[in-house]
Amino acid sequence: MWRYLARRLAQAVPTALGVVLVTFVLFNVVGGSPAAQVLGQNAGPLALEEFDLARGYAKPLFCGRWTATRALAAVDFATAAPSVRAQWHAGDSGWLSLADGEELVLPLAFPLPAEGTWRLTVEGRGPGFPQCGKKFSTVWKKSAKSSTVWKKVFHGVEKPTFRAAGGAVEIRRVRLERGTRHFFDSQLTDYIGRVARLDLGTSASLNQPVTRLLRAGIGPSLALTVPILLVELVVSLTLALLCAYRRGAWLDRLLVAVCVALMSVNYLVWIVAGQFLLAYRWGWFPVWGFESWRYLLLPVLIGVATGLGVNVRFYRTILLEEMHKDYVRTAFAKGLRTERVLFKHVLKNALGPVITNVAVALPFLYTGSVLLENFFGIPGLGYLSLNAIHSADVDVVRAVVLVGALLFTAANILADVALAWVDPRVKLA
Amino acid sequence: MNNAAEQMGAGASFGREAWRRVWASGIARACLAVLALFFVVALAGEAANAWYEWRDVTPPWQAQELAARYLPPGAGHWLGTDGLGRDVALRLAQGARIAFEVGVVSSLLAVMIGVLLGCLGGYFGGWVDDLVVWLATTFAAIPGLLFVLAIAMVVGKGLLGVFLAIGLTTWVGVCRLIRAEVLRQKERGYVRAAQALGFSSWRILFRHILPNVLHVALVSFTLRFPAAIGTEVFLSFLGIGAQGQPSWGTMIASARLRLWQGMWWELAAVTVAIFAVVLAFNLLGDILRDALDPRLRVATD
Repeated sequence: MWRYLARRLAQAVPTALGVVLVTFVLFNVVGGSPAAQVLGQNAGPLALEEFDLARGYAKPLFCGRWTATRALAAVDFATAAPSVRAQWHAGDSGWLSLADGEELVLPLAFPLPAEGTWRLTVEGRGPGFPQCGKKFSTVWKKSAKSSTVWKKVFHGVEKPTFRAAGGAVEIRRVRLERGTRHFFDSQLTDYIGRVARLDLGTSASLNQPVTRLLRAGIGPSLALTVPILLVELVVSLTLALLCAYRRGAWLDRLLVAVCVALMSVNYLVWIVAGQFLLAYRWGWFPVWGFESWRYLLLPVLIGVATGLGVNVRFYRTILLEEMHKDYVRTAFAKGLRTERVLFKHVLKNALGPVITNVAVALPFLYTGSVLLENFFGIPGLGYLSLNAIHSADVDVVRAVVLVGALLFTAANILADVALAWVDPRVKLA
Repeated sequence: MNNAAEQMGAGASFGREAWRRVWASGIARACLAVLALFFVVALAGEAANAWYEWRDVTPPWQAQELAARYLPPGAGHWLGTDGLGRDVALRLAQGARIAFEVGVVSSLLAVMIGVLLGCLGGYFGGWVDDLVVWLATTFAAIPGLLFVLAIAMVVGKGLLGVFLAIGLTTWVGVCRLIRAEVLRQKERGYVRAAQALGFSSWRILFRHILPNVLHVALVSFTLRFPAAIGTEVFLSFLGIGAQGQPSWGTMIASARLRLWQGMWWELAAVTVAIFAVVLAFNLLGDILRDALDPRLRVATD
């Protein structure tokens, strides 16, 4: 048993790594820095850059010594928009011309901070390109188009400059980059390191550590989802047994038809209509809030109703599948009553899929129900996530997704172990 | 060639046989009628939308008529008007257009990703299969609704985010079904024969095996469609989906507030529309599954 558990845990490691990778790709690679959304449209480039630096978005995604800065956007005069060319005082020729001895004026968005390392790359042609200086700090390269690439690294207070010396220069491209601490100092290693330290970041909108927010939200979420899960399990299993017991009779057909109909009612409609009719119009339940257990009654009821159709159909299929097996025929042939066969033999043998179904639903206890929590004002994780999504609070959304996925992986292991425990036929090999 | 022609003939007769079985069911015919109506309304809505966009005038479903606010269903407006005096029936038809777009695009996306990865993993095995299984396990582990919301948030508001969010989260089920079916087909005689003839793997996979597993894709598509509509309604309701267009989700969002003032018809109209379409798809999906492959059990989703 322990060996089996260890093996399943080992199998879960690639999945866990995959989840970390997928969340990284989604939020960092595709999403990029949320600075503009968090700080608003009026934030200046310096504020955005400081946000990126504080939250690690200023680092390269995977690896690298150099990374882009908001102080100066990389420019290619051949393709640049007229407004950008005007900013650089460049003509329409696709080149920026400098006379002998003239210095290139960088239209920096903000003065460069005193600390840090910068690299200026200038690509162009002409006799006035400066000669390379130190061996490692400047690089000369001849490209196919016979243009020259000039790169120089500037440290600390040194201001990045480029001056034409000994002739005129025509410049095609200019790029300014910020140096990183080392080659692997990237967003990916940062993220993996933080996950390993269980540091899930800080909420940008609430200014609190995400772990604290998750801890605060999990109680209300569980208060809502655990009763939904338990009530749903009992009710749907009972109805499914009833269907299997009366297989093919009008009761079975009616229940199946009702299930398909229930499945087809939109989730939102359940909530909107339930809240309006049961709580507001007829006053049976409180409309909104989270003060006592009475506030949970209606959300739980609606939660059960929305999942009932799918679950009854699922359990009915499983039970009917069991009904076709030999041992059931034997039991009937022995003269056992239908009830006894159903409750004692069939139910016990159908436990496997039921356990799997419940275990797979366990992680969703944690994420709560986004809509129910928002409609009924329950301050759980669903409420937290939706607010985070509306305010582009990436750290919170990512943390909820990540923890939910890891819990799902853990629940799968739990299901397998439980399955092996209740069913001796499952091989532990 | 002979072989291929024979196979196509067999496929066609299998398809005809399945179609006959589907058509024999009265429920299936009713579902097909509902879906045909839905498609016609959606395509008409598409054409109308394109027409008004081309003419660059305000379409009638956006025209606000403050004198005609909160009209109950009647002769002038079959389904009444909403809080800005816009005709609910026209907005409902436009909502059908958006639901149709989302259903088709996102289900196609999910089915295409699922079929491609499932075929590759099932046929080639080895590290390719390991990679496919790893990808599927990883995507399956991420909580669905939150994943959808996160993708929509990252991609940005609008229908593109909805397409991608639904497509990228729902391919896993299709992939697993297709992979299992390819694994089964791989051992069949016709594949062995094609291998013995020296056909390339790609040709065997996409010319010979793929047509034999497409029924799984068809059933998946039919079952994905209503789920995609439901997710679109959810996203648009939250303000992340359709922007500035009358989607069923945005209609529920506005009807919800008016319900408290006694305007029930907008919500009722949307509810019935979603219910009819989703029910028809669900029933048809079940019937198709039974007709196309009796071995396929219900417990797939």
